[in-house]
Amino acid sequence: MIDRRLQPSLRFSGNGPGALAGPGPGDGPGAAGQPGAPEAGTRGRLLARGEAVTLDLEGDPVPAFRGETVAVALFASGARALSRSLKYHRPRSFFCLAGHCGACLMRIDGRPNVKACQTPCSDGLRVASQNAWPSAEHDAFGVVDWLFPRGMDHHHMFTGSRAMNAVLRKVTRQMSGLGRLPDPRPGNVRPETPPLRRLAGASAPDVLVVGAGPAGLAAATAAARAGARVLGIDDGAVPGGSLLADPGHGLAAAASSVREARAAGAEVRAASPMIGYFPEDGGGLAAIRTPDALWLVQPRTTIYATGGYDQNALFEDNDRPGVISGRAAGRLLVRFGVRPARRAVVAGDAPYAAALAAELAAAGITVTRTPRVQRAHGRAWVSAATLADGSRVTCDLIAVCETPAPASEPARQHGCAVTLQPARGGFCIDTDAAGLTSLPGVFACGDVTGYQGPDAAALDGARVGAAAAAAASAARAREAATP
Amino acid sequence: MSGKVIVCRCEDVTLHDVEHTLARGYRDIEEVKRYTGFGTGPCQGKECLRVVACLLAERTGVAPSAIAPFTTRPPIASVPLRLLAGPGAEDLTSARDDDATDEDHGMAG
Repeated sequence: MIDRRLQPSLRFSGNGPGALAGPGPGDGPGAAGQPGAPEAGTRGRLLARGEAVTLDLEGDPVPAFRGETVAVALFASGARALSRSLKYHRPRSFFCLAGHCGACLMRIDGRPNVKACQTPCSDGLRVASQNAWPSAEHDAFGVVDWLFPRGMDHHHMFTGSRAMNAVLRKVTRQMSGLGRLPDPRPGNVRPETPPLRRLAGASAPDVLVVGAGPAGLAAATAAARAGARVLGIDDGAVPGGSLLADPGHGLAAAASSVREARAAGAEVRAASPMIGYFPEDGGGLAAIRTPDALWLVQPRTTIYATGGYDQNALFEDNDRPGVISGRAAGRLLVRFGVRPARRAVVAGDAPYAAALAAELAAAGITVTRTPRVQRAHGRAWVSAATLADGSRVTCDLIAVCETPAPASEPARQHGCAVTLQPARGGFCIDTDAAGLTSLPGVFACGDVTGYQGPDAAALDGARVGAAAAAAASAARAREAATP
Repeated sequence: MSGKVIVCRCEDVTLHDVEHTLARGYRDIEEVKRYTGFGTGPCQGKECLRVVACLLAERTGVAPSAIAPFTTRPPIASVPLRLLAGPGAEDLTSARDDDATDEDHGMAG
């Protein structure tokens, strides 16, 4: 089970445009405006909370809204540790809130290992913790964490006795693994298998834009305006990428960028990550998981605008729930209208850290800035932090502001060359001045080529989108010339 | 709690584990991955790859530009088997035959 502290909802109640809901405790329990109506929340931003629903948290009702994801609704109502980790049974809760880190896996609707931060709330949705007994907050198996205080070298864990080794192997096999098998479907119905959809040849897009954040949306708009047939895809439930985490932008700005791309003629699909690239398959195919079918796409040109993954810093107990990425704190505040903390430590010196700290302070949160944290304190949730200078501050959130790491996997599968550039976030896709990668017809723009931030990424995207459209047009001309 | 510095959250790999691996003489990112299991969990390295790559550069003195990432393989995001099992668009006409074969196997079994 998951323990919840009794406390008023952390959602902003929304006192009208331009006004921030009264800071401090006591916004009113569950106060979240009128169900169904978009609400003016933090600093007059539009929040699409949607209809009020109730989650079933291990038999316990939890108020939620359709526009929220499970992780956000649980956090707003006081749930803390969501599950336990694979090996040491350390408490786990969301870190990135963007569907990337795998820290918020829960059993949802009878299925194991579902990302709570990407699952939309619906009425009666069954949600439960994993890998914990009796509860995610007080897990008896957490004793493993104490038995191996520094780490575990599983290559050298044999005992002197064969019989003992056999016993240990049995115990380990029982304990290892993540989650339990899904609940059987009633009547053991065979799920329908939707046909694959192939977009190649005549039905192929001129430009496939992977990622619909600031760079991808700008690229899609520019390419479509140049006359290309554009398909834009994004892994998030709502397109917008880092715009949804940035205090200078938010949901309304993301929605407007998406409208602009669509008005230019681009198709933009949310909840549709690229799951792989198969270069050996008939000249190369990108496989895309849309909500209802698998698409196999062979575009004339491809633009990777996949942005970056939030990164943690290295300090003691850096995986404690309540240590979240700075951009996750931004998502809570900007996209969901949820107060991330009462006292927050903002750690790190990434370019977005100062704006985030200011936004948290404007929301009535006591903010402490530090270049780095030495140690997180607390059990199921952070209660204090030891800062760079050795001082200890009480807090209920550590927002880690590291440079995001380029999300270069899809491009790497495609075969694009990358270079490790620590100062720019990690393995950045190599591009020339026009955004062309090491492969003909394959472009990259925005944070995946090295962290730039949303405004620079959008400029980069517009430029590269136009270049990709020109390359696609040339490819089309070559196709027409070939009999 | 125990003061671990976690490098890979999915697989509970600690900074000490990575340092221990380097001390045993493993220098390559694929070797460190195979020894510790980092990057093999649900996130597939999204949170730990750059940390370990930068650690390797720092501790072994190898230039960052000479360090390659580990190989990434499909699926990048999780995908339900029923989507993968669907008949291909141009195979739609033969879908009925596939079903018949399926039934034949069932009867034979």
